[in-house]
Amino acid sequence: MHLIRRFTARIAAGYRKMSIQMVISLSFTAVAVAGILLMGLSLFLRFSSTSQQMAAESSQRVLAQVNLNLDSYLRRMMRISDAVYYSIIKNVDLSEGSLAPAMNLLYEENRDDLVSIAAFDSRGNLVASVPLSSLKEDSRTKGSPWFRAAMGNMENLHFSTPHVQNLFDDPDTPYRWVVSLSRHVQLTKDGNTENGVLLVDMGFAGIEQVCQDVELSGGGYLYVIDGDGELIYHPGQQLIYAGLLEENNLAAASYPDGSRTEEFQNQRRQVTVKTVGYTGWKLVGVVPTQDSDIPELFLFGLSLLLFFIFLMAFLNFRISAYISDPIRRLEQSIKELENGRENVEIEEAGCYEVQRLSHAVRSMVSTMRHLMEDIIEQEGQKRRSELEVLQSQINPHFLYNTLDSVIWMTESGRQDEAIRMVTSLARLFRIALSKGNSMIPLSDELEHARHYMTIQQIRYKNKFETKITAQPDTEGLYTLKLIVQPILENAIYHGMASAEDEGLISVTAYRDGDDLLIDVADNGLGMRPEVAASLLDENRPAVHTSGSGIGVRNVHQRIRLTFGPAYGLTIFSEPDEGTLVRIRLPALSQEEASRYQQEGPS
Amino acid sequence: MKKKRKNDFIQLAVLVLLGLSVILSIILPQVTRQPKEPQILSVSILIRDTDSSLWTNTRLGMDQAADELGAELRFLTLTTPDDAAEQGELLRREMENGADAAVIVPADPDAIASVLSSSAEVCPIVSMESPVEGASGTIFADPVQLGTELAQALLADWTSGRVLLLDSGGGVNHSITARLEAARSVLEDAGVPVAERACQSAGLSTGLRSLLAETGSQWVMAFDAPATLRAAEGKELEQLSVPLYGVGSPVEIITRLEQGTISAVATWSDYAAGYLAVEHAVSAARGKDRATAPLSFSILRGEDIYEPNNQKMLFPVAS
Repeated sequence: MHLIRRFTARIAAGYRKMSIQMVISLSFTAVAVAGILLMGLSLFLRFSSTSQQMAAESSQRVLAQVNLNLDSYLRRMMRISDAVYYSIIKNVDLSEGSLAPAMNLLYEENRDDLVSIAAFDSRGNLVASVPLSSLKEDSRTKGSPWFRAAMGNMENLHFSTPHVQNLFDDPDTPYRWVVSLSRHVQLTKDGNTENGVLLVDMGFAGIEQVCQDVELSGGGYLYVIDGDGELIYHPGQQLIYAGLLEENNLAAASYPDGSRTEEFQNQRRQVTVKTVGYTGWKLVGVVPTQDSDIPELFLFGLSLLLFFIFLMAFLNFRISAYISDPIRRLEQSIKELENGRENVEIEEAGCYEVQRLSHAVRSMVSTMRHLMEDIIEQEGQKRRSELEVLQSQINPHFLYNTLDSVIWMTESGRQDEAIRMVTSLARLFRIALSKGNSMIPLSDELEHARHYMTIQQIRYKNKFETKITAQPDTEGLYTLKLIVQPILENAIYHGMASAEDEGLISVTAYRDGDDLLIDVADNGLGMRPEVAASLLDENRPAVHTSGSGIGVRNVHQRIRLTFGPAYGLTIFSEPDEGTLVRIRLPALSQEEASRYQQEGPS
Repeated sequence: MKKKRKNDFIQLAVLVLLGLSVILSIILPQVTRQPKEPQILSVSILIRDTDSSLWTNTRLGMDQAADELGAELRFLTLTTPDDAAEQGELLRREMENGADAAVIVPADPDAIASVLSSSAEVCPIVSMESPVEGASGTIFADPVQLGTELAQALLADWTSGRVLLLDSGGGVNHSITARLEAARSVLEDAGVPVAERACQSAGLSTGLRSLLAETGSQWVMAFDAPATLRAAEGKELEQLSVPLYGVGSPVEIITRLEQGTISAVATWSDYAAGYLAVEHAVSAARGKDRATAPLSFSILRGEDIYEPNNQKMLFPVAS
């Protein structure tokens, strides 16, 4: 299990390091090789099975033909035996005539196949024989297997296994191999019948001729055995008799008819058996399995296999290259983008999915470019706004006018007013600085407005009243600094400066859900709604005059840059009705304000 | 790009490797294929007799081996039986004429050994009956064991009288000498009187009676096939009744064994001996060394001939 895990981990590690082309090539090739191997194995097994089946069928055909020939030969011998018995022995009374002349005629007709024909009485004495007529002195006829078989089973004809004939004195060919066909007969003598044995000795050459030229496929051969496995014919018969060769004949005797595979002397061979009718002999065809051809067959199969693998590998490499090249080029383009190169061309090529991917990347890059441009633009705007804030903080005209008012009040002995004005101015600047923080408590922002209005009221000789209030639920809230003063300045210059009636400017801070609203209202001249709307238009050209509305727009942009487009200013105005400028901000606690202070706008 | 180049290189290497494997698997069988028909070898057979009638079964075995193993046999006989000089000359001539191997039944093993040591052209030699120094192998029955068992067969029948031991090897045929000495040892140990006489096989047909008379023997032992056959012929010719014990399995000897002329013979399968001799010679000519084992033999009497195993050993099926 541990080894499997390690192996899997190594494969996974290798996979991560491999290119997509290599992964596709290797996996396709591996699958193709597995498929080819499976198919090759299946074909090989099929081929082997068919070859064996064909060899078996071929052997069976040959054996059937040999069986026909051998059966025909043996039946001819049986007919000779029948002829001797039924045409000669049964028609001759031994006391009146001899069997020999008629037997001799029959022998002469079949001398190519026969060695001898002989009849014996039940004691084993020779009654008649052709062509030889004298028995060997010590011939033990009665004890011979063929004699005992005939006397033991009187109904049948008996075929012996090959043996050397030892009955007759034959000066020319003393030791001839024969197959004996014996049967029980009834001899007639003096009108009486007595038991006897008829022996027809067939030359072994007859059986040899039937079997010797038989050729089985693949260097096979044929041999014949009796029911006990005793050899009757074998192409290497004398080698077996001399102990120089071995045959699996005893095992073959137990095989039923048909084909089977056996292992003999470390050699696999296909054995086909067919039983010869009547005699119980068995024809055994042996075909060695083609062990010697297996290496060549294997190498041929290997060549084909390797060639197919070569072909598959080549095709897989090409296909994988076709699939992966567009991906690789896309990756290259992205790398170039990462390295900061501009105008990188992203090609939309390859198959559908890769084209879609390229298209998506291309769109993404385009969107990113636009976003980046927007960010750059916003940053620029912010910087400009902040600069304008700074500029507004040190408005020289305001400072000059205020100081001029202080001088005038001092000279005219209005010491208290002068002190109040200078105090408010000092307080105004202290809050405006606020240690450099852009977020300040709402109370400070309102105090800043209050001091600014104190100064302006003194300057404008209390031409208008100011009312600054904050709802209790706004306590502790924070706001962007210096957002009220520019609006107050605008209200003074446009709403109050030229108004004839007593003016009122009110500043009210309150909560609206999660938002903080600061309304700056005046009862001045007011303006048309389209003029009011144009005050916040970013495309409106900047004219730097006192109370030109630039301060209002600057406040609006700063709020939106800091808190998003949901926040900012809304101006409600009607001519002769006055103007209400509503500042909408998120209601920020100290912590939230600090976070905005540190992270900047989200 | 570097990775792509590496991939391309790996792919090229794999393709080259596979291509080479394909070529190799096609070429390899052609290179390693051995010719299915080996070269036909010329094997000379030199026997120590003037005709090969006693070697019929041996020759059948030799022909079978030659047929199976791809050899052509040249049978060579002598003009005079057991003429070692002539046999040596024949062997020398065969080797000079390019015989690939020779099977020899030496009349004089020492003479053949000297021919082998003095010839410039030497081919593998397999000897039969007697070992030869310098030969690749010897196909023979253990002579001492054979002589011992043959003597024991005689002892089983012996009642009284001297046994004549026929030395037909002229003192130079080591096997005959070894068989004789082993038999003598057994007989003498058993207290049987023995007499030994050197003889020519050919002379035994007519000279057996005089040898028996000269030695006063009532039993005869011969130690090779020609001597056994000639002694049997002499016994038939002169109607002698002395029991004869011999060696060999030619049909002529077996017939006389069946007829009772010969009481017992030490016999083996001549067919197997011939087959093994040529097989060994061909193997030696093809550079393959093979060990030889002594031939198995048995002592047969007339009544044993038709035992199935003896039939198979004595009478080759070849028609």
